[in-house]
Amino acid sequence: MSIRVLLVDDEVSFSQTLAKILSRRGFIVATAGSGEEALVALAREPWDVVLLDVKMPDRDGLSVLGDIRAMPDPPEVIMLTGHLSRSEEEAGLSGGAFAYLLKPHPIPDLESRIRDAAQSVRHRREKTENSLARKGGEL
Amino acid sequence: MSEGSVSQRAHPTDYRAMLVSLVRRVLLVSVLPLIVIAVANFILFYSLNRSIVLEQQANLLRYHKESIEAFLANLTAEVTALAHQYPREELVNGHLERLFEVLQQSAKVITDIGVIDADGQHLKYVGPFDLAGRNYREAEWFTEVVERGYYISDVFTGFRGVPHFIIAVKRSEGDSFWILRITVNTDYFSRLVDAAHVGRTGETFIVNREGRFQTKTRFGDRLLEPSGFPDLTYHDGIKVRTLRMGGVGYICTTTWLSSPRWLLIFRQQVRDVFAPLRNAVVVGILMSAAGVLGAGVLAFLFAHRQVQALKRADAENEALTQRLVATGKTAAVGEMSAGLAHEINNPLATIDTLQTWIRDLAGSSPISEEDRLEILDAATKIGDQVARCKTITQGLLKFARRVDSSPQPVLLSPMLEEMVTVMRTRARIEGVALDTDLSDVPAVRGAPAHLQQIFMNLINNALDATAGRGDGRVVVRTRATDRAVRVDIEDNGPGIPQELLSSIFLPFYTTKPVGKGTGLGLAICYGLVQELGGSIEVSSQPGKGATFTVTLPRVVQERA
Repeated sequence: MSIRVLLVDDEVSFSQTLAKILSRRGFIVATAGSGEEALVALAREPWDVVLLDVKMPDRDGLSVLGDIRAMPDPPEVIMLTGHLSRSEEEAGLSGGAFAYLLKPHPIPDLESRIRDAAQSVRHRREKTENSLARKGGEL
Repeated sequence: MSEGSVSQRAHPTDYRAMLVSLVRRVLLVSVLPLIVIAVANFILFYSLNRSIVLEQQANLLRYHKESIEAFLANLTAEVTALAHQYPREELVNGHLERLFEVLQQSAKVITDIGVIDADGQHLKYVGPFDLAGRNYREAEWFTEVVERGYYISDVFTGFRGVPHFIIAVKRSEGDSFWILRITVNTDYFSRLVDAAHVGRTGETFIVNREGRFQTKTRFGDRLLEPSGFPDLTYHDGIKVRTLRMGGVGYICTTTWLSSPRWLLIFRQQVRDVFAPLRNAVVVGILMSAAGVLGAGVLAFLFAHRQVQALKRADAENEALTQRLVATGKTAAVGEMSAGLAHEINNPLATIDTLQTWIRDLAGSSPISEEDRLEILDAATKIGDQVARCKTITQGLLKFARRVDSSPQPVLLSPMLEEMVTVMRTRARIEGVALDTDLSDVPAVRGAPAHLQQIFMNLINNALDATAGRGDGRVVVRTRATDRAVRVDIEDNGPGIPQELLSSIFLPFYTTKPVGKGTGLGLAICYGLVQELGGSIEVSSQPGKGATFTVTLPRVVQERA
């Protein structure tokens, strides 16, 4: 089953190109140009991984992260930032981000991080389904 | 809604003016009491001295009057005694010469002596004039002495044609009488009256009721001449007053003698009377002046030391400001480099994905026409991103060129335009509209590096205040005034509460979270603006934003 990735960045050239690369490698990819757009896309269909830019004109990536993590069955979030600040990184990780990466991050590593994140989210979902099935069986 | 505004004006310190004002104040405090004391002393001293001098003169004249009256009374008594000691015939026939000699022995008190019978006939005369055989029946003194028994005359000229006065005594002998008469030596009497010469102009003399001199005076007034003394009305005791005679002011002490009715006068020019007082006053003034001079020197030394101390403190302050500036510069550079890193890293990330995309496409063989076009498109996009980076680095270079820290004329509008261009990268990230409203303002004098630091701090603060709100707006405005250039950095952030307005220029004062602000930015701005001879002010309406206004003196156009 293909990994579903949502790219959230106001740098359109970046997200579109990355989307092409990732879809050629078998991912299902969509892009969002702002925090609000991302939340709309997340509400519409389920996603495994969100690549989230920290600095965006409309909303701070960290607050979008908060909203995403508050969703039921949330995707894993990998934060991407133009400048790495220790305090922001800490805030991101403690806010539930799967990784906090500095742009430009090598694409092969980024790809493997996405796979790791997807595995993590699928593992969690399986656990949830099993426990639900167990509960169903008990009932 | 209340609008708060605080102004932190800074001007270059004028130590010279400070010195002058300090000296003036210290002098005022020290010299004013000195002058008050000196004036009070003078008034007290003057009135005391005057009353003492006048009292002294009155006393002297009182004693003098007594001695003159005693002299005249004694002389009269002596003549009376002689007249009663000898019968007329004894005197006429030889004793008178002997008597004259006896009377002359102690002092030449009398000029001559004579015996006159009841008919006024001069029976016998001893003296320098040829008066024997004269008849005095018609003389005024003769009538008086016959009537009263003795008589002291005023000064008169008589037969001898020389002013003199006489003492005559009537002696009754049998049914008739005769008269013993002496002429008082007017030189002797004048010397007796004007015994002590007081000061340069003090003199004692006697005038009769008509104001004619009865004694010769120190300054050569002759007997019987009118004295011109203006106050001849009778008074009891001693009278002291100032009178003007011949255009000169005199202190006049007078007393009337009982017999004859002569006016004893002591007079001295006012200037002369108070000469010692004047000398004392001159000495006093000199001493006061010396005091004032001393106070002045001390005041100057004191003020000089204070100003020196202030200068040192200012120099230390300046050094501290310099250190603050350096620290603040590091902080500002840190803040800016974060924005720049973001701006460069974003295109780099795009370039990285594009080159990865190109590799992916080029890896398949053969390359389809569609992929070939895709590769060309990616390459064009790489070119775009490179151009974007170039814009940033060029802006940075322009910005960095202004590192000159030597003062020079600087046009603020172009400088601010360049700065805003660079800082817009940060503004864009923060979602803040950074706008300019720049006029063609005259140059100000300052180090470009310092000016840049002032405005970078203020613009960064404004961006901090409006970041992430979505509707944030910062306007950088320049305007020329009469003598200065005004730069407003206006934001629509949360504003500054009234109670914080006065402390925001203090070093290490910050409302930003720990690790976000050093609290140095505004303190540095304040210090730098002060150095440039300008002022920095802030006005804020809480909830609506804040405006920082920097006013810098414009460069004076020097005419060639």
